[in-house]
Amino acid sequence: MTVKTPLLSIQNLSVVLPSSGDRAYAVDRLSLDIGENEIVCLVGESGSGKSMTAHAVLGLLPPRVSIDRMSRIEMMGTDLTRLDPQAMRQWRGERISMVFQEPMSALNPLQRVGVQVAEALQLHNDARVSRTEIDERVVAIIDAVGLPSPRQIVRSYPFQLSGGQRQRVMIAMALLNNPRLLLADEPTTALDVTTQRQILDLIQSLQAQRQMGVLFITHDFGVVADIADRVVVMQHGIVVEQGTRDEVLRHPQHAYTRALIEAVPGRKARAIARGGVAAQPLLKIEGLNKTFVTRSGLFTPPRTVVAADSIDLSITEGETVSVVGESGSGKSTLGRMVMRLIEPDSGTILFAGKPVGHSVAEVREYRRQVQIIFQDPFASLNPRQKVGEAIARGPIIFGTPRAEALKIAAALLDRVGLSAAAVDRFPHEFSGGQRQRISIARALALKPRLLIADEAVSALDVSVQAQVLALLAELKTEFGLTMMFITHDLRVAAEISNSVVVMQKGRIVERGAPAKLFSGPQHDYTRQLLGAMPGLDFFEHRIAA
Amino acid sequence: MTAIVRSFLRHPSGMLGLVILLLVVALALAAPLLYPGNPWDTVAAPFTPPRTDGMLLGSDSLGRDIAAGIAHGTRVSLMIGVVSTLVALLIGVVVGALSGYLGGRIGELLMRFTELFQTIPAFLLAILLVAILTPSIRTIVIAIAVVSWPQVARLTRGEFLALKEREFVQAARCQGESALALIVRHILPNALSPIIVTGSLAIATAILIESALSFMGLGDPNLMSWGFMIGAARTMIRTAWWMSVFPGVAILLTVLAINLVGEGLNDVLNPRISRQ
Repeated sequence: MTVKTPLLSIQNLSVVLPSSGDRAYAVDRLSLDIGENEIVCLVGESGSGKSMTAHAVLGLLPPRVSIDRMSRIEMMGTDLTRLDPQAMRQWRGERISMVFQEPMSALNPLQRVGVQVAEALQLHNDARVSRTEIDERVVAIIDAVGLPSPRQIVRSYPFQLSGGQRQRVMIAMALLNNPRLLLADEPTTALDVTTQRQILDLIQSLQAQRQMGVLFITHDFGVVADIADRVVVMQHGIVVEQGTRDEVLRHPQHAYTRALIEAVPGRKARAIARGGVAAQPLLKIEGLNKTFVTRSGLFTPPRTVVAADSIDLSITEGETVSVVGESGSGKSTLGRMVMRLIEPDSGTILFAGKPVGHSVAEVREYRRQVQIIFQDPFASLNPRQKVGEAIARGPIIFGTPRAEALKIAAALLDRVGLSAAAVDRFPHEFSGGQRQRISIARALALKPRLLIADEAVSALDVSVQAQVLALLAELKTEFGLTMMFITHDLRVAAEISNSVVVMQKGRIVERGAPAKLFSGPQHDYTRQLLGAMPGLDFFEHRIAA
Repeated sequence: MTAIVRSFLRHPSGMLGLVILLLVVALALAAPLLYPGNPWDTVAAPFTPPRTDGMLLGSDSLGRDIAAGIAHGTRVSLMIGVVSTLVALLIGVVVGALSGYLGGRIGELLMRFTELFQTIPAFLLAILLVAILTPSIRTIVIAIAVVSWPQVARLTRGEFLALKEREFVQAARCQGESALALIVRHILPNALSPIIVTGSLAIATAILIESALSFMGLGDPNLMSWGFMIGAARTMIRTAWWMSVFPGVAILLTVLAINLVGEGLNDVLNPRISRQ
């Protein structure tokens, strides 16, 4: 890194929260520099103030939140905190651009992609740019972010693109005016591992090409290890540590930094208890097929998606089997078919050696023994149902008296690390990690034999993820569970499973023990997934161990 | 529940609406005490202006006390508004819930049936029904319910379609909840706030429809109602303004109050907004 005046220099930034907030400052006297041609990673858990920092730079703070008067945010000789809204607009999108976390909600669903990208150009060019020149530049930038057939992408609507493609469009939009500084707020958190790898590579190569400064916000030290030049670690609005990547990763000084690095999954295989070896598998799937057909119109041919293509899988009692694949590989559909939420087209599912009948009573009795934890902790709890009620309902349905069921709920809440007093509270009073613990308690209330975890930790911060994974591992031995763990993250799979199954386009392409899969992947797709793991280079020696 | 009540008490416009509404209800309850006797009786000279001969709001063309008419009309208006809306909600929620939850062919069929009612202009249909069934309070309630349930059904169906795919509903299904329990415990409570808001606004619309029917002479001939009073007074509005203005104000205030309460409920029943 060349030592000269930094591109962006934040000094003593304090972001004041309204008096009703749980703390006075979202960001407390933060100072950091970003040089030209440098990627600075801002790391911390949700609520640590890292997004607020980025929003403060752009002057995009929410209402009633303000910047303290002592703060200075200097870029190219201008103090951005002193700019009036009119002047700030000249900076936004021209010299500083931002990429957001949620590519699904950051694009206008009713406008073609090209029009939305072009808007960034029209807003910042006083001189009239001709229609054809705009078109050319839009196509060029779409091409530059690695999207196939850019002329077709330009004419597409956002819903026609995948999550990764949308994120590329967002990056194209951000880079159209050749900004000097790019703020990337968790741009890969909503994506699966393979797409994340592509976006990280893209950001890195564009940054090098354009010699931009990048402030990259993330909660995942795996990502940090891959792309950072320098690292700033934040906790509760305060910077607890900063330094070059190697300093921070190899010799973390602060306990919080060490905890975050420790939380990166897949560094160590847990002591995985493999229950008593049963003679027959608990779950046996044979030749399972499922094809989804969507008819969009009278004259367009129906679109078919093969979600399951003659899948065979068997899970022995006491075992944890991970099903790994990217979005669209059919892994969630597989989980839902096992749960009998989706009926397969053909094939058999045997549970404890017996097929499950089709009558309402039989399916209900089966579901008592097979429970599921969903991905989204915010969508999987009924917002109008008290937490205790949500957990107690299962036992009540199967004949446990209400008072006793509520006692079970309280005990389970206590067991998953929440206080028993949570029984009388509503889901919105809990954080994402806590809600996922509630979902686990709800699934366990019926004392299931098989637990399906459908991306159960994917929506969580890495540090919270580690806690929930540890909890699941404990509960597994305690309750004698068999688990089917669906995830896109091989790191997570490696950490908790006895055996890993890799799925691609509805087919199982490879299976085996995690150690074997990591050391000698047979299928190209497995190798691709392995290569996509963030922080691979840095954490590799630990994974292999 | 107490939390909902408490946040409603802190909702300024909702509370204003509630206070007006309670006054209207009090007036309806106190009508026989305030104005004993029949509001149709002639008690004074015709066209007595307000605040003369001991009459607060004057008398009409046949010497009937306007204030007594309004007080007794309150009972009719509120009763018709509430009862017809309850009937409409009952039909609408059941049809919408079934259509949304079951989906498929049955769902489509129920929606086509709903559209059958929506293609006929609501007020014309109401006039037609009352005219055919002969005007009485029962037929008026039926007519208003028949024209107002389709929008409740459509709303409920939309909410159900979106909610039944949500993960918490699937989780409840995995817990072993029956279809009825899924609808009643999980989907309906989350669909309830827009339904309640629509319902409260439907009461206001029902009062307006009843007034319009009475205005056209299709009200229950035995019951004094606001719409009838305005209808009877319309030709004399330049000579005796009080005959139509006061019943009009009564309709305005009642409908406004119900709307305010409805919007207040909308804010309060949304857990995220109310607790900020």
